[in-house]
Amino acid sequence: MADREDAFSRFEEITINSDLRKKIVDMITSAGEGHIPSSFSIVDIITTLYEYYLKFDSQNPNWEERDYFILSKGHGCAAFYVVLAKHGFISQKDLDEYGRFNSILGGHPDRTKVPGVEASTGSLGHGLPYAVGIALGQKIQGKHNKVYVLVGDGECHEGTVWESALVAQNLRLANLCCIVDFNGSAAQILSHPNIAKQWEAFGWNVLETDGHNEDALKEAFACFSSNNNSKPTVIIAHTVKGKGVSFMETHGPWHHKIPNQEEYQAVMRELNQ
Amino acid sequence: MRKTFSDTMLEVGQTDPKLVVLVGDIGHFALQPFAKACPGRYYNIGICEPTIVSIAAGLAHAGMYPVAHTIAPFIVERSFEQIKLDFGYQGLGGTLISVGSAFDYSGLGCSHHCYDDIALLKSIPGTQIVYPAMPKELNLLFKETYTNGSLTYFRLPANKHDVDIPDNQIRFGKAIRVKPGKDVTIVAAGPQLKTAMESLPALKAAGIDVEVIYPHTIKPFDYALITKSVNKTRKCLVVEEHTKFGGVGDEVMRAVQGIKDTKIAFINIPDCFIHGYGQYHEHCESLGLTKENVANEVKKLCI
Repeated sequence: MADREDAFSRFEEITINSDLRKKIVDMITSAGEGHIPSSFSIVDIITTLYEYYLKFDSQNPNWEERDYFILSKGHGCAAFYVVLAKHGFISQKDLDEYGRFNSILGGHPDRTKVPGVEASTGSLGHGLPYAVGIALGQKIQGKHNKVYVLVGDGECHEGTVWESALVAQNLRLANLCCIVDFNGSAAQILSHPNIAKQWEAFGWNVLETDGHNEDALKEAFACFSSNNNSKPTVIIAHTVKGKGVSFMETHGPWHHKIPNQEEYQAVMRELNQ
Repeated sequence: MRKTFSDTMLEVGQTDPKLVVLVGDIGHFALQPFAKACPGRYYNIGICEPTIVSIAAGLAHAGMYPVAHTIAPFIVERSFEQIKLDFGYQGLGGTLISVGSAFDYSGLGCSHHCYDDIALLKSIPGTQIVYPAMPKELNLLFKETYTNGSLTYFRLPANKHDVDIPDNQIRFGKAIRVKPGKDVTIVAAGPQLKTAMESLPALKAAGIDVEVIYPHTIKPFDYALITKSVNKTRKCLVVEEHTKFGGVGDEVMRAVQGIKDTKIAFINIPDCFIHGYGQYHEHCESLGLTKENVANEVKKLCI
């Protein structure tokens, strides 16, 4: 792991997306429901993708020329929601109403309610095969829309992830990019001895990057975009669960915990630094 | 039926560029005419049924009409959550086509039997279930349903009922009154229509005039035809190759509830696993799915 961190050291250390992290904390604290550390783990990835690479039209979410993004680890949805709001798919009012009975935003993203959400997820192991189907549909129709899917490293325990990985390379789905939020959750339970080699053995292009560094992420997405072989691409994004708030980071009790008033103030102090 | 499945995919695929067929290494050779005529729209995905279902849902999301085909226990029981979430909840349309339901793979044991598929799929809101037991029913009902935006399950039995039903009577959601009668109603699903028809000479000899109804569409169920029939006969026997829970019998009970002085009986698969091997007909005999037992059950209703 030290070697990998060294490999990313050419990128300037920057802290990004404090404002979005604050929105995430506000939403989840207000609703009393949600996964703050999981959202902090992926918010920089989703932000960079929507800012620089994903083709979309927030006023016409079903635009035929769009690229597709699927958040397969649906419990990190607060990060997705704040990015959707930033780009005009949903409103601040929607964020404010997160978790309420009649809200369009709940604890997992819902395609039937939320503009810009391509797949209703929550049960792990569904997003990648679903993305394979979309990518195959583009290929059959001679389209070049790209399909991005973000999975967790714990989610990579699911058999359907590896079934789909095998199928995607066999179907030569070069338009498919899977991002693994490699924040070490899996290692708390069932470690992947070498996840990069695992994907490589399944026939994918494998990239590794710092999942909290915009420049590093941009380089990885650019590499996928310019890929000219027939393989699907996986980006192993090295991330820190809870990134941005010291006492939430890594794998303590904060996975599904809601801050009290004192903790909320402490979170905001760190994010305001 | 497999030949008609292949022919139907070829017929529809040649006119509809959105039809895509995915299989889990079942029917691969039979579907080669479609594969050759419709290049890029046939995939023998692999032995990974839940993934096949999710891929099919993704294809539907991308605007295609997916057909996913493999053995019933694997596409229904093993892949149930994928069907529920990726198709059902998301409201996506597509077609799942199974072979090997009930005990059609009679000699292969429990892993290859599947007699709860109708119950499971019925429980997912918005699904459609078709159980055609003659080739032309498959052809006509597939063409009627595959673009209608719902998830439709076709349960293809290995055996036919061999009753010639005019094409213009085969309509999705409409059960067929195969034979009119006034004393007892038999509702027979799938190949068991044949058993029911074979029981008629003995019943006629006993002076019992039977009305026979055949529901090829299980969901949505044609309650009205059965309600009308049982209002007249007040006696009903349901014959099906499915567990007693959640099959055609349940729907018939909904159809007859509230009809006074009605007697109803069932020949189906009781609350136990099937342990035998052997041949299809041996399983039928073991379960009472025979013309003799149908006649006996009808006679008991008439006592």
